[in-house]
Amino acid sequence: PRGRRAQRGGGGGGSRSVPGGAALAAPPFPPLGRARRLRPRTGGRNHPRQGKGSSPLSGLPRLCLVVFLVSLSQRPGLGGPFVLTRLRSAPVTVRFVTNTTKESKRDLLERLTGLGFDIAEHEIFTSLTAARNLLEQQQVRPLLLVDDKALPDFTGIGTDNPNAVVVGLAPEHFHYEMMNRAFRLILEGAPLIAIHKARYFKKKDGLCLGPGPFVTGLEYATDTKATVVGKPEKTFFLEALRGTGCAPEEAVMIGDDCRDDVGGAQQAGMRGILVRTGKYRPADEDKINPAPYLTCENFPEAVEHILKQML
Amino acid sequence: MAGWGWGWARAVRGLLLDVSGVLYDSGADGGAPIAGSAEAVRRIKASGLKLQLCTNETQATRADFVRKLRAMGFDVSVAEVTAPAPAACRLLQERGLRPHLLVHHDLVPEFAEIDKTNPNCVVLGDAAEHFTYANLNEAFRLLIGMEKPVLISLGKGRYYKETDGLKLDVGAYMKALEYACDIEAEVVGKPAKSFFESALAELGVPAEQAVMIGDDIVSDVGGAQQCGMRALQVRTGKYRFGHWFRGNLENSSTCSAKAAHFLAGMLDIEKMMLLFSLVGAISFTFQIFQSFTGLLCGGAREGQVMTQSQMVPDGCQQHKDT
Repeated sequence: PRGRRAQRGGGGGGSRSVPGGAALAAPPFPPLGRARRLRPRTGGRNHPRQGKGSSPLSGLPRLCLVVFLVSLSQRPGLGGPFVLTRLRSAPVTVRFVTNTTKESKRDLLERLTGLGFDIAEHEIFTSLTAARNLLEQQQVRPLLLVDDKALPDFTGIGTDNPNAVVVGLAPEHFHYEMMNRAFRLILEGAPLIAIHKARYFKKKDGLCLGPGPFVTGLEYATDTKATVVGKPEKTFFLEALRGTGCAPEEAVMIGDDCRDDVGGAQQAGMRGILVRTGKYRPADEDKINPAPYLTCENFPEAVEHILKQML
Repeated sequence: MAGWGWGWARAVRGLLLDVSGVLYDSGADGGAPIAGSAEAVRRIKASGLKLQLCTNETQATRADFVRKLRAMGFDVSVAEVTAPAPAACRLLQERGLRPHLLVHHDLVPEFAEIDKTNPNCVVLGDAAEHFTYANLNEAFRLLIGMEKPVLISLGKGRYYKETDGLKLDVGAYMKALEYACDIEAEVVGKPAKSFFESALAELGVPAEQAVMIGDDIVSDVGGAQQCGMRALQVRTGKYRFGHWFRGNLENSSTCSAKAAHFLAGMLDIEKMMLLFSLVGAISFTFQIFQSFTGLLCGGAREGQVMTQSQMVPDGCQQHKDT
């Protein structure tokens, strides 16, 4: 029962043992209570949901696991797909999130299924999805400055006579004429939506400007502020949780980017687990405040901890 | 308002004129003069007032620029133009900087005397179509690779008006590179104080006796007033209704500038001189009225303007609020 959650367990996490001996910085979060053990269900994703905010079926814990996609797919050799199968038999809802602006959901799904992961399309949430949700919510017709490969994620949204501007990573659209088109629309009142505001990214031949500088230029010229939908914005994480029926306090984020994944998730009210793979650099966990709820070696370890300690 | 009450009675001996949006609208086809402006310039010269064009245009050398204006009927010479490129050249030479130029092709000759090998700074101008992703990326890579990145921007305007609509100005791209490299650019040109000061030096008139006329509330009017000049905003060019609420104008003479701006439809110097005295007298009267009622404006700048707007002739258009 949810009411007892806050009273259960000790104060901080000092008494816990964590696999891999990862140091646990004292988290400011109350520990998740121990709910009644239930017989495992096949396919956590098939949990009946009554919509966000409504009371759960009695006794069912609600835990939503949000996993940063890249950290999942980077090391398939570590048994990622196997770990995922274990997750499926636990009462958790899983979502896979990424900030990509160059791959549509379908392409991502194909790539991951090809690597052996058992994932459904509705479990993938990208910053493009976040942008699409916002467009539908506001009922606007966008001028899409996004990569061609990302266009499939916007099918069904009208783009004739645009009254909104969406900016992703699309160097082929960042020329003067297109920028002026976007500028004039925004000056007339069109909202500016940025998939994210990365300053630059690394390519084989060196650093390249990301969408951030161009969004900043448009903000300055029109004296407006863009709505950023990608991580580490709070709305990104809240949007990812929408439809799962979980509140942020009932969700855990696993990621390798301390500031953008874990930091962003914790700002949204979730717990964050930092894994020491991928983008991780030593002492990253000291760079955010509050510190990550947990830092551990890799994704399988993070899942172990969740299954053993947090359900 | 006190500065304006009798202040306008002080002699005006020289005018600084913005060019784009005041005298003419630029455009791909060379642009078009704004009706009545060429005649107004003639009348300024005939009246004995000194004249200096104070422009941020960086799409051509001064010689070509003047040639274009003369072809449109403006009686001006190269010596009467203060532009950012020569000012930037002086700065580069003083500091021993070797620039990578991201400017309009036609401006490059202004930098002929400058050593551009092994660049240690980036100079950004209004490059228009040359603001391609590739060119910007090249400038970005140079800056991010420098130990102490130096970005010099010729002006920082947000946009300007051409014959086929509004277009992004160098300011937008300056902000883009500032954000990408996490640095701050140095601005040469309006509204930098040093630029106005050099224009005044070339005009040969002290700030208190000069008036700046422009269409950009921040770069022209704001910048000039920061130097101690008086300034007028005209409703041609890039002017958009409501922008005067947004300007960070500390000088209380703004209000009269706004009032004069409502009442001045076109650049007509003699009528404006009469206007200044009239406005000065009216605002002085209002001040007396204010001090009796104490209710009129509540001290808010906007409040004062709203009161004065009751003087606006019926023909004044209400533009959409931005």
